[in-house]
Amino acid sequence: MKTATIQKSDLGKAIDLLVQADLRVVAPRLQPTLDGPDDIDILMFQEMKSGEGHQIGEGILTHNGIKEFLFAKHEPLFAYELKGKKVEITPVHHEYPRTVILGVRPCEAASIPSLEAVFSNANAGFEDPFFTKRLERTTFVTYSCTDADASCFCTSVDIQPDDSTNSDLHFTELGDGSIHVEAKTQAGEAVASILEPLFTGEGDQAKREKMGKVAVEKITRLRDKAPIRAWLDENANFDDEMWQRLGEKCLGCGACTFECPTCHCFDIVDENKGTKGYRVKFWDSCQFDHFTLHASGHNPRDWQYKRYRNRFMCKFKIYEETFEAQGCIGCGRCIRGCPVNLDITEYMAEVAHKAANPAAMQADPDFE
Amino acid sequence: MIEEIRNQARHLLENGEVDVVIGYAEGSDPTRTTPIFVRKVEDVDKLIFDERCINSLPLFLNKRHEFPRKGWKKTGIIGKGCDIRAITQLIAENQLKRDEVFIISAPCEGVVSHPEKWDGKLHDGNRATKCTDCDVKIPVDTDFFPVDKPEVDRTAPYQVTAPQVANLMSLKTDERFAFWREDFDRCFKCYACREVCPHCSCNICITDRTEPSWIDPAAHKRGVFSWHMTRAMHLVGRCTGCGECTRACPMGIQVDLFNQRMKDVIQDHYDYKSGYSMEVKPPLITYKVDDREDFIQ
Repeated sequence: MKTATIQKSDLGKAIDLLVQADLRVVAPRLQPTLDGPDDIDILMFQEMKSGEGHQIGEGILTHNGIKEFLFAKHEPLFAYELKGKKVEITPVHHEYPRTVILGVRPCEAASIPSLEAVFSNANAGFEDPFFTKRLERTTFVTYSCTDADASCFCTSVDIQPDDSTNSDLHFTELGDGSIHVEAKTQAGEAVASILEPLFTGEGDQAKREKMGKVAVEKITRLRDKAPIRAWLDENANFDDEMWQRLGEKCLGCGACTFECPTCHCFDIVDENKGTKGYRVKFWDSCQFDHFTLHASGHNPRDWQYKRYRNRFMCKFKIYEETFEAQGCIGCGRCIRGCPVNLDITEYMAEVAHKAANPAAMQADPDFE
Repeated sequence: MIEEIRNQARHLLENGEVDVVIGYAEGSDPTRTTPIFVRKVEDVDKLIFDERCINSLPLFLNKRHEFPRKGWKKTGIIGKGCDIRAITQLIAENQLKRDEVFIISAPCEGVVSHPEKWDGKLHDGNRATKCTDCDVKIPVDTDFFPVDKPEVDRTAPYQVTAPQVANLMSLKTDERFAFWREDFDRCFKCYACREVCPHCSCNICITDRTEPSWIDPAAHKRGVFSWHMTRAMHLVGRCTGCGECTRACPMGIQVDLFNQRMKDVIQDHYDYKSGYSMEVKPPLITYKVDDREDFIQ
């Protein structure tokens, strides 16, 4: 695959070129919000009409993920109308514009095959047409991290800050204001050909490799993923004391799941008005107390710590078992977004500790 | 100061006066703290208190968070003045009895508004709005306060309001509506605003009701607006202004601006401020024959 360089200062023009090529362009930008005390900078993936104000390569991660551009927060599946004793179903028209998402971090890009394994799983004989069509028509331009914050832990789940495995086109800053560009797929090459007028020369592979490692040193949250799966596979550990001890402060909001790039649970309801309405699919969260509530009133996950146990098991066991894909991609959004600082990496550390010290597995008498 | 608080917690646990002390511990990175339930004397030294202790811990006294409370007969809780307002309000609303809780007050000079704004010290750029002109630095009612507790005159209205409220109120109604239309677009209905609220007391929230479904659960405009408006209205005259809903919002939506506005309305119309008395009931959950009604149109 060919490589090139582009100047970081030209990324706005790059967006303009893509917009002129009739593509829907999504890139990080600061959300205008109310200035004043208690406000924070809200970096969001947003649809761009021009390159103005883009923040590609700035900050660590956006508040929203790329997930919502593939798996919509809400979408009608079909419309229905009761006519006499018959129900008439009519399809709802959805647009699937050709989309380029710029500035995707490598950790988040690793969520694409994970979501694909859930929603468009040819092996399982199931395809969500909405997700699959959006994925087909989306090109991912990823961007190596050269910085990390206290919540980043991608290297602990086998992802590198300069990973281009899931990229169509991959950018890496070279530290001198220029960016190394490498196309990884045909879709990436197609985008590269649109950007060609902005290329300033050949890429610099050696320098790119060096710059790609800069962020590794800055990641402070280091965990050992290796023992987790085997420990979770042990049935007795399902009732280990740590689930209660670590999870009892969990409040049961869905911030971690909705922020998570690989969480994919949804609910379906009929939004009815008189004799007609829409059947709507929308995001749901395993952290909500009614997520597993049976019609009988029984709830197998009756306490909040069991719901968080499910989340942890989903990331490190169920995802791998059911979908043969990676559950946790180490972006740290669930840590940044948690109101009570419930930290998935503390669970990881605790499991690793317990796996190494089987004697520590005794139940805590305080919870008996 | 923290030593006095730890000693008090140790004393309470050793004598079996409380089953647990809810407080703050170091979080998983230096900008964050986290709630901790101290049940054993040896864990008392994990308790900390400083400007990063933003959580409003009284939410764990709310019966809705049932699991941590399982088996607790009496709870010790460490609170800032504003947290103690929340406890006071829970008692006023019969959600909690005064003798079920032992209140340890932490002298507070303000807290940071968001962990990500913490840079090692508290200043005008990162102090939470509620901490400007705070009149409960000396707490209203408490069982333990590590320093001398002077009498404070708190008869003046509580007027701490973020400038954003005035900015929004100066807009025309349709402009204000347009602002929220765009801002609410980020909401994905994780309900962090509800879960961190010490005063969201319903066992089954109206938004989780399905027969009928009062509020559309999907995060489209109708679902989001009906949720946030209902949340704001259910807290009128009850919200104690801890600002946790805004702090907890992972999408940075300043939802507590509604509550701040409603607090002013309640003060103007009913001369009531929440969280200052365990006896006086919030105006919208009581009824008097001579209640003002000239503002009803």
